[in-house]
Amino acid sequence: MPDDIAEVYRNTYPALVRFLYRKVWDAERAEDLAQEAFARALVHRPENTRGWLFVVAANMARDEARRAAREKRHLILLKSEPDAVHSSPEDDIDAATRTKGVRAALDELTPRDREALLLWDAGMSYDEIAAQTGLARGAIGTTLARARRRLVEAYDAGQEGGQHVARG
Amino acid sequence: MSHVDEGTLHAYLDGELPSTERAALEAHLAGCATCRENLSEERSLRERASAVLGSARPAERPAPPLDQLRREPKRSPWRLRRSFAWAASIALALGLGYYMRSPSGRAAPPADMTSQPIALAQRAAARDEERDKSPAPTAALSAPAHAPAATRTYERSVRPGDAVAAGEAAKLDSTATTTALARTNAAAPAPKTPDSVRLEARVASGTVAAARRDLPAPEFAARQVTATSWPVISRRMAKSILGEEPVGLPGLATRHFRRVPGTEGTIVVEQAIDSSTVIQIFQQPAYPYDSTGSGYANEGRLRPRGYLSEEQARDRGNRLFARFVKGLRVEITGPLSPDSLNRLLEQVAPLP
Repeated sequence: MPDDIAEVYRNTYPALVRFLYRKVWDAERAEDLAQEAFARALVHRPENTRGWLFVVAANMARDEARRAAREKRHLILLKSEPDAVHSSPEDDIDAATRTKGVRAALDELTPRDREALLLWDAGMSYDEIAAQTGLARGAIGTTLARARRRLVEAYDAGQEGGQHVARG
Repeated sequence: MSHVDEGTLHAYLDGELPSTERAALEAHLAGCATCRENLSEERSLRERASAVLGSARPAERPAPPLDQLRREPKRSPWRLRRSFAWAASIALALGLGYYMRSPSGRAAPPADMTSQPIALAQRAAARDEERDKSPAPTAALSAPAHAPAATRTYERSVRPGDAVAAGEAAKLDSTATTTALARTNAAAPAPKTPDSVRLEARVASGTVAAARRDLPAPEFAARQVTATSWPVISRRMAKSILGEEPVGLPGLATRHFRRVPGTEGTIVVEQAIDSSTVIQIFQQPAYPYDSTGSGYANEGRLRPRGYLSEEQARDRGNRLFARFVKGLRVEITGPLSPDSLNRLLEQVAPLP
């Protein structure tokens, strides 16, 4: 029997948005894609809603990244509209710098390591990660260990480099 | 037993080690200081990674109610009533109703609005007008209702379908608009200017010059009319909903693609004619899918049954601005006169 989608929606929506955000790096788009994924789930009624959602979301994010690359100009145009000036400028800059660092660090990971890490962070179990990535369940621990190490190292390296640049 | 590898330690820390392995690991840890040390290192690595990742997260906003995401089951033929309802709701939502003119050409009563952006737009329009002395065909939109009586004659001759008159009227009309503009500007700031004159000024500036205009100046952008709360979607998604490239006016900046809630497969493309004039182009796959249609010029093509032709649509008091572009049925709405909307609609094409 298919899962209760309303239940999954309550529990999984924030995680799915977070997961998507770290792929498309745009909060609104992440929400948009997450909602689209759920809208599709309502139509398709998959057996394993949560797993299905993350597969669909990962695919959408990949398409989104391709499209974004093609339409970079368009995005810049949209972003130039002053529509998101809510928090104080300092907060924005801090958050933006941090996000940039994390994004750069995540880029240092192999796609498979990154996927496993993001899925784990979204609350997926090893079994679910294995099902989605095609990795053997027994390899997930090793994959995550490697992903975490690289993430932290790349992030720290980026912070040092960033400070050098700032001073120079 | 040799030392425990980091993968097993992470699986243990993640609570994902099967119970037999976990028992074995714990037994080993009890007697192996190296592995206990490794475990504590991996634990802090794990926490650190989680913190790093956690520092890049979107602001959590409440999820919209699930039933708002629910798409209605496929509803065959497009409903006219429904589309009128949209047009009305859009006009309200955009707060642009105050520019709507009745078909008789009389101006609707003005709503409360600051006149400053309008005056600015007018000045910009006047600049554009000077730059573009040669009138483009699109300038033949309609004459200002409050312009001299002679102009009003041309307004009538510019009715759609009268192609011969339109070309001639274009020049005259454009001149008339320029005159109207000049008058308006002489009086600037001109909060008392009849609304329809402002409107026409902006129409002329938009269609003639929008393609060449730079990005709006900040003072314009800051006062943009806010759009609806309908979900903004990506262009890719718009395409996937429609089954083909979304359509719009070539050369105009596309502000947003939105999904129209409560419909199956309808999206709206919002484009800016100028910094304060946004038109909305509704589009939905024609049903049954009309793959033979290839645009307005192709008059002899097959059309899905059950729809008004463009000509019939226009005959209905100019209220329905709809046509088929490839496989899409397209409607247009915005704070412009019916004639203007019709003319814009004729230029709609798949977005590049």
